[in-house]
Amino acid sequence: MAGTLSSLNTALTALRFNRVAMDVAANNIANATTEGYARRRVEGTAIGAPAQPAMWSRYDGVGGGVATGATERMVDSFLDARARREHGAQSYLDVRAGVLRRVESGIGEPGDNGVAAAMAEFRSGWHDLANDPGGDAARSQLLARAETVAGAIRNQATNVATEQSDQRYRLQAMVSEVNTVASELAATNANVAVAKLNGTEAGTLLDQRDQLALRLSELTGSVATVRADGGLDVTVGGVALVTGKDAGAFQITGGVTASGGDDGLPVSLAVASGATTTMVPTGLRGEVGAVADLLTTTLPAYADGLSAFARTLADAVNAQHGAGYDIAGTAGQPLFSYDPADAAGTLTVALTDPDLVAASGVPGGGLDGSNADLLGVTGAADGDYQRLVNAFGTEVASVQRLSASQGLLTQQVDGAREQLSGVNLDEETVSMLQAQRAYEAASRVISVMDSVLDTLINRTGLLR
Amino acid sequence: MTTMRVTQNMLTDRSVSSLQLGLSRLATVQEQISTGRVLNRPSDSPTQTTAAMRIRSSIADQTQYVRNAEDGIGWLGTVDQTLAGMSDQVRRARELGLQGASSGTTSQTAREALATEVEQIRDGLLAAGNTTYLGRPIFGGVTPGATAFAASGAYVGVPGEVNRTIADGVKVRVDVAGTDVVGPDGASLFDDLDALVVSLRTGDTTGIRAGLGALEGRLEDLGSVRATAGARYSRIEQAAQRGRDAVLDLTTSLSEVENTDLPRAMVDLKMQEVAYQAALASTARVMQPSLLDFLR
Repeated sequence: MAGTLSSLNTALTALRFNRVAMDVAANNIANATTEGYARRRVEGTAIGAPAQPAMWSRYDGVGGGVATGATERMVDSFLDARARREHGAQSYLDVRAGVLRRVESGIGEPGDNGVAAAMAEFRSGWHDLANDPGGDAARSQLLARAETVAGAIRNQATNVATEQSDQRYRLQAMVSEVNTVASELAATNANVAVAKLNGTEAGTLLDQRDQLALRLSELTGSVATVRADGGLDVTVGGVALVTGKDAGAFQITGGVTASGGDDGLPVSLAVASGATTTMVPTGLRGEVGAVADLLTTTLPAYADGLSAFARTLADAVNAQHGAGYDIAGTAGQPLFSYDPADAAGTLTVALTDPDLVAASGVPGGGLDGSNADLLGVTGAADGDYQRLVNAFGTEVASVQRLSASQGLLTQQVDGAREQLSGVNLDEETVSMLQAQRAYEAASRVISVMDSVLDTLINRTGLLR
Repeated sequence: MTTMRVTQNMLTDRSVSSLQLGLSRLATVQEQISTGRVLNRPSDSPTQTTAAMRIRSSIADQTQYVRNAEDGIGWLGTVDQTLAGMSDQVRRARELGLQGASSGTTSQTAREALATEVEQIRDGLLAAGNTTYLGRPIFGGVTPGATAFAASGAYVGVPGEVNRTIADGVKVRVDVAGTDVVGPDGASLFDDLDALVVSLRTGDTTGIRAGLGALEGRLEDLGSVRATAGARYSRIEQAAQRGRDAVLDLTTSLSEVENTDLPRAMVDLKMQEVAYQAALASTARVMQPSLLDFLR
């Protein structure tokens, strides 16, 4: 037979368990909107017969109450890994789309103020000059329009160069953020391992660990794997950045100088841990990957296209201009000048004297306009520019589409995580009420037992 | 059956993101209406952007061709009027020559009067030959100077064509070479008139008759030059009209490519507005209730 007082003990376990359940519900409610908080649940297990009560004895009770198990974090490591991957891809596309949109808005096509409009005006300036080869007004107007074309092209080149410079600073800032987050994660890993060893509740540390790993993935598209001691190991492009309690130093090894300048090399990154430095392969995701790609490929490609177009334009105009004769009858000098290293950024009008514009096709100073007429013909440069704008527009549109569709995927994964880990206030209210009622009932059990024992002890054998 | 677990945070996130989506759609339509354009940046439609850039370039070219043609019309108009005036004067000189020839016996005084008038006609023709349009002598070719003929009647222009581009690769000559109008130096209209004056003064009837024949030939030359110029005039006029039509057509095409279809955009705007309001209303209703409202 079970002991008379065992029911009191059963009620006591119930009181303890339900108090913990109420604590957990209260904590969940308190953290309902905390970023990175995964809801907790306390596991109760019924206490039954011991597997081996004692030598030569048997257990004949009905159960000994409830054992308060560990509080469980409602997370799924598979979903977490998935979320890290999708967030890495999302931040890559978002950064890329944001920067490209900004560069695109500086192009100003199709419109009345872009390079194409300036080129059309330039052409019609040549026609006006052909109509009036001796007119000072037509000559000055032509030079002014040539300056407008050069200015519009320089303006775009400056926009791209400024964006590149901004992105180099941004890359430096991001690399230092990666290092901060990585060392925080390493410290958290150490704390998690200690907490696991001495059996302390590690939920908050694990929340922090997951959040730091997610931020690292957003920054670099890194991959995290769970260690046996509860920490997370992080690799960036296959190179270990965080291993247990040790974090390597993420650093820029090429493409950006220490002062944020351009050293002419493609962007390269490395992780230094101890004495060894391992190069990170190209093709990273995340914000760092996006900026590295922009700096190495996308922005230089547009700048080069713009320079090639500026060169074609200047060379074609200069060649035709040289075939003509100015108002004094001498052969035309180059109209545009540029530095071959950066044609678009340095394109300027070399002539200042309107009389030096070579409108005439015949030597000797006649008022002929045939060379101006030839200069007013649409050249190959116009097509080059249209192709350049078209290619850039296509790239921006495609990145925006990719970013939007990746957004749906990311949202879906975040939704799935929230579905598992998020706090539902109604649910918590219900479990709190449940625990409250159970607590009340357990208290009632105690008072019932009390009165039973009172009857047994104080009233047994009393006749009156 | 498993029901999906929904949390307050999910509701909040979803509401916020769908409100954002609705608002951004509203902003897109609003941008299209307020700017009047569907192409505001290349990525709105890269292909259409290229088309728009090409059309804009063509519009600029065609507008310029029309301007060129209008300038050419001015030139050729002046050429035509000048040639007409010159023909009249040559005809008058011929009449005077005829008078001199038929009245070969008339007095020296009368012939002197005829000669003086022919001299005046020669000066008039010289002035006509130096007619300018916008400061340039119309028969002077590409001369930078102000005259095509010297006082002696010698051609001082610089041979060369004054052309106007009236369409892509199509040029029309808008001047007439001075030597085509009056003939080459040494055998020009002015030389003929000089000879006629001398013949009139001396009463050389054979000389006068030869001069009359030469003037007859000059009239024919002037007529044919004028006919050529007239043909060019009508050609350039047609080209100007074609250019104006092309500008109109191209502007319409550009508008089709670039501009917002307003009625459609307004309907879109209304739809997006309704959708946004519905999202707002449903969000307000979903966010309100809680189990706590129903517990004592």
